[in-house]
Amino acid sequence: MKLSNRITILCSSVLAAVILSVTVALLLFAKNTILSLSNEQVQRKQQTLRTSFSEMANYYAANSDSDAVHTSLVRYCFTRFSDQTSVLMKDGETVVSSVIVDPSAYVQKDGVDYGEAMPVAVTVQGRRLLIAGSSTSIGGKTYDVYVVEDISDVYTRIRRMAWIFAGVSVATIALGAFVVMALVRKSTKPVTALSEAAREIADGAYEKRVAVRTKDEIGALGEDFNRMADAVETKISELEERNERQRLFIGGVTHEFKTPLTGLLLHAGLLRRANLSDDERDASLAHIESQTAWLERLTQNLLKLTTSDDEIELQAVHIPDLLDEVKDGVEPKLNERGATLSVQCETETLTLNPELWRSLLNNLIVNAANAYDADAEEKPITLTVKDKTFSVTDYGRGIPTEAQSRIFEPFFRVDKSRSKKQGGSGLGLALVKAIADAHGASVTVESEEGKGTTVSVLLP
Amino acid sequence: MKNRILVVEDDAAIRDAVLLNLQFADYDAVAFDDGKKAADALECDHAYDLALLDIMLPGMDGFELFGLMEQYSIPVIYMTAKTDSASEIKGLRDGAEDYIVKPFDPLTLMVRIEKVLKRVGKWNAVYRVRDVVVNTETHTVTKDGEPVELQPLEFDVLIALLRHKNMTVSRERLLSEVWGFDYLGETRMVDVKISALRKKLGLEDAIRAIPKLGYRLEER
Repeated sequence: MKLSNRITILCSSVLAAVILSVTVALLLFAKNTILSLSNEQVQRKQQTLRTSFSEMANYYAANSDSDAVHTSLVRYCFTRFSDQTSVLMKDGETVVSSVIVDPSAYVQKDGVDYGEAMPVAVTVQGRRLLIAGSSTSIGGKTYDVYVVEDISDVYTRIRRMAWIFAGVSVATIALGAFVVMALVRKSTKPVTALSEAAREIADGAYEKRVAVRTKDEIGALGEDFNRMADAVETKISELEERNERQRLFIGGVTHEFKTPLTGLLLHAGLLRRANLSDDERDASLAHIESQTAWLERLTQNLLKLTTSDDEIELQAVHIPDLLDEVKDGVEPKLNERGATLSVQCETETLTLNPELWRSLLNNLIVNAANAYDADAEEKPITLTVKDKTFSVTDYGRGIPTEAQSRIFEPFFRVDKSRSKKQGGSGLGLALVKAIADAHGASVTVESEEGKGTTVSVLLP
Repeated sequence: MKNRILVVEDDAAIRDAVLLNLQFADYDAVAFDDGKKAADALECDHAYDLALLDIMLPGMDGFELFGLMEQYSIPVIYMTAKTDSASEIKGLRDGAEDYIVKPFDPLTLMVRIEKVLKRVGKWNAVYRVRDVVVNTETHTVTKDGEPVELQPLEFDVLIALLRHKNMTVSRERLLSEVWGFDYLGETRMVDVKISALRKKLGLEDAIRAIPKLGYRLEER
């Protein structure tokens, strides 16, 4: 069952119970009030009747000589005050009466009573009667004075009142239930909206948000929901971006492998099937050797690139020692190109992964050496380490501004043919970036065409 | 006259191999390693029957070069490492005759070149090997000026060997080029035709059987 329906039914039930019990209590109270008013009325009426009658009868009939005169005087006196509810009885005999019952049968008389007479309620022949009676002495003789009031009308009125009460309370309950339902619907609407939004997000509409209109718990839930959706959207787009990058990377790798593979295939085919001269055979073999070396470099770098993605081990490294190792390592390549490296170090120890960092510096230095035209007279390269910043500077060709943002992309080459001749795999700077990223370091490039380039890596 | 073919490919290994293959197949080939250089050279000399273009080129890429080729009515075959259909469609929609995806097999390249040359009507129909001249248009073969009678299948086997001159052609390849794929496995039929050709044309030493590989028609 829906939450809104359940709350509506619960609230309506409580409302109905409250209204019904209040109504019943009111009804009972009204009934008792009306009945006690009637009682008082009848009591007062009987008292007035008895007192008036008794005074007058004692004045006129107390000293009557004969019973007949006495009785007639008494009757006369009684009728002076009586109405259709009055009854006068003497020794169980009715003297004056215009009612349908014998009141003495219902009222207990314990001797002569001048005091109060509590009315007795009886139902006779479908009529509700209030009977009040008491005795009085007139000329030594005891008379009973009764008032028999028919209060059937009062009961009818009470019943009518009860019906009106019932009608009003049913109407109130219905209205109340309707209002409760509307309120509950209104207050659960944001919950419905949340659930719809959640479904849409689950179906892939990650940009979906809910409108927050209130400042209550549901509003807070809406805000939290939106925050969660933000986080999910960001994460998903990050993943998609990463996926796209990976897809492009794999595309790039495949493309890079195809060129050396084509060369290998063609020359192997020539060697196997063609009738080659000795010189041609030598040239073919040289091509095969260089293409294979290129593939080997490519795979080495790819391996480093993928392993630098994993969690790396950091350790405190004595930087001057590390720089010496780097210098020894790149020396042959620099000599080959006629470049010279000068190193300045103002830092003692830093926390990094020495293997990967050597590879990073090595790549930057070889890259700097390749920035010079082959016929340049001098090819100076400086490596400076200050605080946590490693900078490699050359005074070569420089990088065009529009290419500067792309040089860290795998397989991006500012000048394709030259880079290949120099033995680049197209992965050097991508590797630098990946290693820097793995260390949480930032890489910046400052370059001007014709003047040179400085690449700086700042450890966190 | 030999068909003249322009090759623009920046990778030296591929360029040299393609050149050798073209020379063996009796083409006159000229190669460049840079799109710009090729474009400049075209200004003075554009008498090419076909161009083999790499797409990713320094200087000027293959798609840019295509405009020039159209200007000089040189049919183009792209040699591309790009397998994505987008670049294939671009190349062909712009009017390239064909494309071949790296890494490719040299014999396939030769067949494609021949097909394109035939389609555009520039196919040089005359093959020569030693003192034998074969005219594919008139279907005639002469040895030392004297006509020689060949059966149709013998003629086709000779053409297949000439097409891949100086290259070893497997029996399977000969079967599929001459008889079609239905006959794969029946390699003995090839040997029969080869021995007939050797006898009729006196090419006993020129058509060499290469153990485990197939036959090779040698010029020298």
